[in-house]
Amino acid sequence: MAANTHVPPLPPRPRNLFSLWGTLTLGLAWLIAVHLEISPKTLIYGWQDILEYFGRYGSPDFSQTPEYLKLMLETIAMGFWGTVFAFIVGFLIAPFAARNLSPKAWTYNLAREVLNFMRAVPDVLLALIFVASLGLGPLPGALALGVHTAGFLGKFFAESLERVDRGRYEALDAVGAGFSQKLMYAGWPSILREMSGYTLYILDRNIRTGAVLGLVGAGGIGIALYDTLRMFDYDQSAALLILMIVTIMLLDRLSSLIRSKLQ
Amino acid sequence: MSLPLRWPTPDGLPPRALWVTVGGVLLLLVLSAPLVEFNPLFLLGKLDDMGSFVLRMFEKAPPLDYLPQLGQKMLETLEMAVLATLIATALSLPIGILAARNATPHPLVGQIMRDVLSFFRALPELVWALVFVSAIGLGPFPGVLAIAVVSLGFMAKFFAEAIEVTDTGPVEGIAATGASRMQVRLFAMLPQALPDFVGTLLYVLDHNIRAATVLGIVGAGGIGFDLINSIRYFEFERLIVILLAIYLAVTLVDRLSDRLRDRIIIGGGYRHGS
Repeated sequence: MAANTHVPPLPPRPRNLFSLWGTLTLGLAWLIAVHLEISPKTLIYGWQDILEYFGRYGSPDFSQTPEYLKLMLETIAMGFWGTVFAFIVGFLIAPFAARNLSPKAWTYNLAREVLNFMRAVPDVLLALIFVASLGLGPLPGALALGVHTAGFLGKFFAESLERVDRGRYEALDAVGAGFSQKLMYAGWPSILREMSGYTLYILDRNIRTGAVLGLVGAGGIGIALYDTLRMFDYDQSAALLILMIVTIMLLDRLSSLIRSKLQ
Repeated sequence: MSLPLRWPTPDGLPPRALWVTVGGVLLLLVLSAPLVEFNPLFLLGKLDDMGSFVLRMFEKAPPLDYLPQLGQKMLETLEMAVLATLIATALSLPIGILAARNATPHPLVGQIMRDVLSFFRALPELVWALVFVSAIGLGPFPGVLAIAVVSLGFMAKFFAEAIEVTDTGPVEGIAATGASRMQVRLFAMLPQALPDFVGTLLYVLDHNIRAATVLGIVGAGGIGFDLINSIRYFEFERLIVILLAIYLAVTLVDRLSDRLRDRIIIGGGYRHGS
């Protein structure tokens, strides 16, 4: 290479607004804390009470474990059913929510809005509504998880479909392929790996969330936790919490193992 | 339309991996059907109930005198989510550095940090809220703590992962100038990890607003308390107003964060020569 005689001008020194943003953020946090009437004093003066409270969880009672394991299994089944439901719905809606594939502008907008709507309502809320209209039990919980996460899976799949190299779609366009053929031969095959990753992540998440749906009467281990906490039965609560944490951490390990195998 | 489609395999038949996966999932569904008490006939029979439930929300005129309280509660909900996110952000920067394999001061510290974070993430916000409400009483404070704990678990983990995948070139370059280990982290690792971190931050904020709307169910502040009460006392005209408010708030924040994410991650960076 020839010696570089032309020295390009240095880029302008970036303005460092860190102190300004930092101050503004701190001010906002302070304002909110005052408005919510949060006083750190509760933590500072009450730390002994809080420590004493957590001390009550010190002697977990595992005598009911078989029953709790059954409830945990129910929670896992709820998460699984919800995920399958979410996968099917997301799979059907996603192609229409991908900008580059959707046949018409209105199908794109409609699919987007449907997915947004499903995502916007929190699953605990959906569970409340389904329990109120369908009755108690794990089925409303599975439905709630399914509807909420279908919005997520649909959005993830659609974004993956948009990211596929456009050459693949153009190649199929060139041979006169239609919407379904482009999906079948360029869309889905290109994003299979991402799809399975997302689905595993959602399964993981649904089992985690399934553990709390019992609080609103939708089955699973949450009911037991709510009951024991309400009756101040800390030994049982501690056993339940430990069981939940261990199960969820194990599932977490398992799913990250599968995900790393997939890549 | 040109169905039926040939499969994109040499023999035009679905690949075996697909058969195995679909078959396995179906088998698990059948096996676990009793656990979730799945019964299609029951569901069909309940369609009427669902319809009448939805209709009852529109039977009466929306309660206008409730709107001021609704606004106040929604503000409280948003504030809880924002404050919790700020606390989690502030804590997750140092903890993320401690937890990242290539930035941690000692491998043992990193392992302990990662285990602690995984413990924070293991329980959903509602369970943490239940515990904190029992520990420090009703109100928004336990709700903020519950959200902050779970967010810290997620944000510090993602931040640590973003640090772990940073390019080693800048790290070596800055180390070659005689920079201390702290300076290497500040000027070589952080700038590379921050754009990812902003993406995570927006995602977590989004999630936290949703989470904050339901924490009131266990008495941890926000709109959730009104929500559960309107279901308990069959005030369905109030329920629909609350649902709409939650939907609006979540959608607005979603759109806003989408726009911010695009600007920061794609368009906002410095472009040389432009």
